Amino acid sequence: MGLYILRRIGMGCVMLVALSMLVFALLRLAPGDPVDAYIDPSAPMSPAELAATRARLGLDQPIPVQYLAWMKQVLAGDLGYSLQRNHEPVARLIAERVGPTLLLMGSGLLVAIVIGVSAGILAGVNRGRVIDVGLSLPAFVGISSPAFLTALVGLFVFSVNLGWAPSGGMRTPGLAPTTGDLLRHLALPALLLSIGHAALIMRYMRASLIEVLNQDYVRTARSKGVRERWVIVKHAVRNALLPVVTLIGSTLGAAVGGAIFIESVFNWPGMGLMLINAVENRDYPVIMASTLVVGACVLAANILTDLAYAVVDPRIKIA
Amino acid sequence: MAGLHRTRLLALALGTALASLAAAPTFAQTKTVISGGFDVGPGGFQGNFNPMSASAGFTWLSTYYEPLIVYDAKLEKIAPALATSWQVSPDKLTYTFKLAADAKWHDGKPFTSADVKFTLGLAKDAKSGSVFGARLNAVKDVETPDAQTAVIKLSAPNAGLMDTLTKLMMLPAHQLSAIPVDALAKHEWWSKTPVGTGPFKWVKYETDQYVELAANADYRGGKPKVDGLVNRYFKTTATAAAALKSGEIQVSYVEADDAKTFAGNNAFRVVEGDSYVVNYLGFNGDAPLWKDERVRKAVLYAIDRNAIIASLFGGAAKPANCGYVADHLVPSGIEPYAYSPDKAKALLKEAGWDQINGAKPITLLSYYTAPQQVNIMAAMQAMLAQVGINIVPKAVDVATYNGTVYAATPDWTQYPVVYAGIQIGPDPSGINVAINEKQIPPAGGNVARVRDAGVTSALDAALAETDDNKLASRYQDVCKAMNKSVPWGTMWVAKRYGVVSTKAKDLVWLPAPAGGPYDQKAQNWSVTP
Repeated sequence: MGLYILRRIGMGCVMLVALSMLVFALLRLAPGDPVDAYIDPSAPMSPAELAATRARLGLDQPIPVQYLAWMKQVLAGDLGYSLQRNHEPVARLIAERVGPTLLLMGSGLLVAIVIGVSAGILAGVNRGRVIDVGLSLPAFVGISSPAFLTALVGLFVFSVNLGWAPSGGMRTPGLAPTTGDLLRHLALPALLLSIGHAALIMRYMRASLIEVLNQDYVRTARSKGVRERWVIVKHAVRNALLPVVTLIGSTLGAAVGGAIFIESVFNWPGMGLMLINAVENRDYPVIMASTLVVGACVLAANILTDLAYAVVDPRIKIA
Repeated sequence: MAGLHRTRLLALALGTALASLAAAPTFAQTKTVISGGFDVGPGGFQGNFNPMSASAGFTWLSTYYEPLIVYDAKLEKIAPALATSWQVSPDKLTYTFKLAADAKWHDGKPFTSADVKFTLGLAKDAKSGSVFGARLNAVKDVETPDAQTAVIKLSAPNAGLMDTLTKLMMLPAHQLSAIPVDALAKHEWWSKTPVGTGPFKWVKYETDQYVELAANADYRGGKPKVDGLVNRYFKTTATAAAALKSGEIQVSYVEADDAKTFAGNNAFRVVEGDSYVVNYLGFNGDAPLWKDERVRKAVLYAIDRNAIIASLFGGAAKPANCGYVADHLVPSGIEPYAYSPDKAKALLKEAGWDQINGAKPITLLSYYTAPQQVNIMAAMQAMLAQVGINIVPKAVDVATYNGTVYAATPDWTQYPVVYAGIQIGPDPSGINVAINEKQIPPAGGNVARVRDAGVTSALDAALAETDDNKLASRYQDVCKAMNKSVPWGTMWVAKRYGVVSTKAKDLVWLPAPAGGPYDQKAQNWSVTP
């Protein structure tokens, strides 16, 4: 088990390095010059100033040399300084934003799991009945709706029209931070983030449960006179959860993408909003470090998902 | 018994949680606060707190900082701010400002002429990150005969000086002089502990969320009527409009389409105003394509500006036949370049367009990426294709645009023509930096490398004019020169919109270029529950 975890962490590190190389190369090869971010249209730089800036940033070096210099800096624990945010250390910026993003994503996924699994069980058990159709229809809508559309429609309906939730931000300006205020601001974006995932989980759970309910051991349990509710809860649901756990793990990457949209619509001060601002402003140190941190989080979540298999299904031995 | 106890505890916890959720809005109402998207839209500058590097965002900045002088609320005349009066010498080389004797910084120290000298010194020093350096080149010295008098001496008349001074927020020498000049631009002072003289004072910046200000009880214009101001940040104008509708904010810039959704709603007041920004096709002076004046004129004749204004601006724009559209700056008798594809074709034929370029694609570079502007470029592309000019719009981010047009060794093939905008008011001299031959980068912002002797000499004469009565006539000459030789294909000046909640009383908000500043009298703003 311990060896397996170490092996997975090692593989994760290799993937992170590959990811950082890819993002670094893409940023450098994208149209335009990184030094553009330093040019103020109202105060144009002279050619000498441009050259000096380029040399100071190491942008006059070949791309592989630039990458190695950046990696050396990162390994020393220095993620660099933001170009746009008063030269604040990137590590500090990320530390401030990881929490809100994890809170939003965690809440969204939790809601998605609770709704998706419950609805999936209900639909699976009542296959072909009104309740199944009634749950499947919104699930299809949820799966088909992109995060930005869901976010905007949700904002319009629940915040503008119904006034049930604030239209954005993480806390009410001027108020001392309270859990209640945080929950008021969190509820709508988390719910909207959960919709697509809940719908997907519901469909997987339904299909998996239907398959399990037709297995011999379920028939045996029924024939032994075990109560139907107990058959479903004890014998069917637990086994049906296995593919759903796989799904939850594999949708974490999509959840990050969804969180970026939700954060920008609701001005949620997380990694997604910071990443979008950094891309718009060509804040290369922030883009690189954010990608690395988000990638590390997704990889860590995937490892945890693998470990969760063993908990859900004792037949699986991790070694 | 134990079960009952657990149930009660659970009920108590649930009740507390619900109460805290419900209590939040009630607590929020104990202070009178005006919230707004003050930095939303083209007049705003979210995340910038340094007024010396501000190219916009002056509506908000001027709630806690103040300039010496400011435009009135109609953006027509210069009004007092920290300077109560001023005199300009007949030769326009000496500007004497009398300062408000009772003006104080938020830390209680008096505002004096030493602060004026300090601020102008910083603003002229490129090392401070100031964007005002080029506009203050003519400032030779600032004399301080006494604490309430500042005398600005110029080396040459500069018709744009007063306009520049409306945007130059005064800074406290006693707070900033200890910070090295080259460390000032990105110093945390601006976003942690700034000190101004305005009606509101700094409380905090919640990163990417909002900025909070509190009433300055010692403000010389009277204690503000509300306890505080909040500047909410929004990623898009649509979400700001949603916050307006849900009642969370009381004022914001909105897009023209959003403005229509507020029209007729008694809970809101829609504010319409001039953008004071002329959009133009900047023909690259280095590109051989446009050397023949007839080609440039053909472009204007080929574009049906009235149709674009009607369909894509909803009528909320005015066609521009030179850099200006204000009646007093546009002389009579200039060519209107009314839509005429036949005339365009004839001019192109005369000029030998087939030999010059023919149907080869011509990149139209722009930093406008909003859907409306992208549609406008597509419309222009279709109209120009009708006469045989094959432009290909390329909308890029501002950094890429700047990198291309400000390149040390510019490559005209990367941007043979640009679609851009330049501020033309309230002070008409703003256009100088973008079209005067002497302003070709790195000296200034003439990124299209226009080398038009007629326009340059007309602008030089206008900037050096010392007789206020002749100023409008000088700018008419600029208009005439631009209209005659068409160094730019000037398109239109659009309207801009904002929405103010009717709960906010006496809130003066204008969709001013760069956010003003203008005499908004923020101390008089109030809000009803």
